[in-house]
Amino acid sequence: MKARMLATHVALPVLAIAVSAQAHAADFDWMKFKGKTVAFLANNNPVAQALLTYKADFEKLTGMTLKVDGYQEQQMRQRLVTVMNANSDEVDVFMTLPSREGEQFAAAGWYGDLTAMAKNDVAKDYDPNGLSQALLKAATFNGKLTSMPMNLEGPIFYYRTDIFKKCGLEAPKTIKDVEAAAVKIKACDSAVTPFVSRGLKPAVAYTFSNMLHNVGGSYIANGKSNLCSAKGKEALDTYSRLLRDFGPPGVVNYSFQQISALYRSGRAAMAFESSNELRTVMEGGARLKDTGLLPFPAGEAGQVPTTIGWGMAVSSHSKQPEAAWYFVQWATSPEVQKKMALQGIAPPRPSVAKDPEYRKWIDEEPVRKQWQAALDVLASKGSSEVGYPIVANPASREFIGQAVQDLILKQKPIDQACADADKALDALIAQK
Amino acid sequence: MSDSAATLTQDRQKLEMAALSAPAVIFTVAMIAFPVVYTIWLGFQTFSSTGKQSFAGLANYSKLISDYEFWHGLWITIALFVLSLVLQLVFGVWLALVLFHAKRLPGIVRSLFISPFMMPPVVAGMMWLVILDPSLGAANYILQSFGLPPSDWLASPSLVIPTVALIDSWQWTPYVALIVLGGLQSLPTSVYEAAQIDGASAFKTFQRITLPLLLPTIVTAAILRSVDLLRFFDIIYITTQGGPGNASNTLNIYGFRVGFEFFNIGYASALMLTLTAIVFGAVLAFNRLRGAVAW
Repeated sequence: MKARMLATHVALPVLAIAVSAQAHAADFDWMKFKGKTVAFLANNNPVAQALLTYKADFEKLTGMTLKVDGYQEQQMRQRLVTVMNANSDEVDVFMTLPSREGEQFAAAGWYGDLTAMAKNDVAKDYDPNGLSQALLKAATFNGKLTSMPMNLEGPIFYYRTDIFKKCGLEAPKTIKDVEAAAVKIKACDSAVTPFVSRGLKPAVAYTFSNMLHNVGGSYIANGKSNLCSAKGKEALDTYSRLLRDFGPPGVVNYSFQQISALYRSGRAAMAFESSNELRTVMEGGARLKDTGLLPFPAGEAGQVPTTIGWGMAVSSHSKQPEAAWYFVQWATSPEVQKKMALQGIAPPRPSVAKDPEYRKWIDEEPVRKQWQAALDVLASKGSSEVGYPIVANPASREFIGQAVQDLILKQKPIDQACADADKALDALIAQK
Repeated sequence: MSDSAATLTQDRQKLEMAALSAPAVIFTVAMIAFPVVYTIWLGFQTFSSTGKQSFAGLANYSKLISDYEFWHGLWITIALFVLSLVLQLVFGVWLALVLFHAKRLPGIVRSLFISPFMMPPVVAGMMWLVILDPSLGAANYILQSFGLPPSDWLASPSLVIPTVALIDSWQWTPYVALIVLGGLQSLPTSVYEAAQIDGASAFKTFQRITLPLLLPTIVTAAILRSVDLLRFFDIIYITTQGGPGNASNTLNIYGFRVGFEFFNIGYASALMLTLTAIVFGAVLAFNRLRGAVAW
């Protein structure tokens, strides 16, 4: 199956929404649902935290009350599954990752259809056309717009400029350069871990997908899982070898928390981790002056970064979808997204990314400039395919992670690891 | 008052008492029965990845038989249960004896000894995750400062179960010790006086008197810990999420993932009911054992 490529292919229906929206903007009244209460199921991550800083602004603007139910990511999904399976209207708006659960939630009918509301019921300054068309497309399933993008993110390459300089290395341009740099750093500075990325089974797909796409591989070919293809094996082998030979001990339990802590403490020379971790990595300021940032270096297929974004969806069981839409609209408006951007949340609106105030904030630190430059590449070249583009995407991530862990721990030879994964993944692909 | 009138009054009082307590009884039964009955019903349903539901009969249970992950999860659950229970009972009895005999131990030290089980398991899991981190944690630093090789702890497929058992035992041994301490304090002193007069050594006294008399208390502690150990979840979820690979994928973790990550609520219910049956079986077995060692 072809990857959901983001970037330049603009979805015409989405543009149509934008054009039509202007005609209805004049009648728009933010106070239309004054007195109502909107329930928001939030993932307690930096994106939601930044948004909810302005909760009082929303309540003042609309006269509505915002009831926030905040959980960590996995617990939020548990709550959502329980609420949606019970057909309950307890939740009006929820946060979602279209790249992970989009196909599944859309097929289950959990997303309210935002197409008409985004077309007919928008404020004058909302500018739906200004939102990343690529992310809107990634949130459109069977012609239905299911969520509005809150941010833009993806894994990027953090490296220590001082260690690179000491070891006589240039910033890597290709995956082969990364491996060569790891070899040299291991010999040059034994106190640091040359390379670190995600090794925890369910978390691997987020970074591995970038490697797979960069080397020119794909998850599915002719309706079958493709990890045992030459490119699939190359990606599995390279990714696991980098972690096994140059990663920290215990990397199979590493996700973003451990990676950020290791890099921030100065004990890793290269880290491949989420753009969202910039703030955590720079906490305390120790890495502010010695860090370089890049999109993940190119493979045979060039750079195909992983680009995703959290979205805000209206529950299909909500009894007040219009009021819920007002909250979604406010939260994804240019004004609010600019405020969030100044807190380090990468904006899904090119206009906000070019805003003078935001540019001033970016220009304050060289590392922020590099961060934004990397995000620009993510926005223009990215793929939202993290794991298999199938309804059972979350389960597919487990098998990708299992294959990578089997190789890191040397529990299976590559042919067996990929064959076992392909067998399990073919069964998932066959599920309807 | 005639006999028949007295009987009538008694019957009426019984009826009134039944009527007054009925709401509480109905509420309690409903609160316990509803989730169980609902889960049993869910176990006969199948849910597609999109949440579409249909009646599956016994399909979820027959799937268990051929599911490698189920048998693997069962094996991991039993291994963790046996290892943790043995550690906690042995060290719990030892700690109880220390606390019982060290009468002059300051209250603050006693409180410190028993404090781990007051800590929420999630906090304990986070704490040990940091301590046992092979790169940044204190455990390897200490090992290396004594010239010992570092360990991968939770990241090693062969060490993860003993490591998790150690974490759980660190937390729950004091709880076992408290129960056993209660038992020690209730033992009759006359048998000890008799043993002293007969010249029994401290070891013989422990072996022939203390341990047999304590057995019912130890079995009670074993029952309480068994229920928790067979449902082992929080510390594994925080520290390894069932990994590395599936080396710590207990039945409870597996059922959780099937239900809440892959949305197959029917099969997850079948898994959890099977686990519930195993827990009940273990409790019944220990109850019989308690009956056999009672004095």
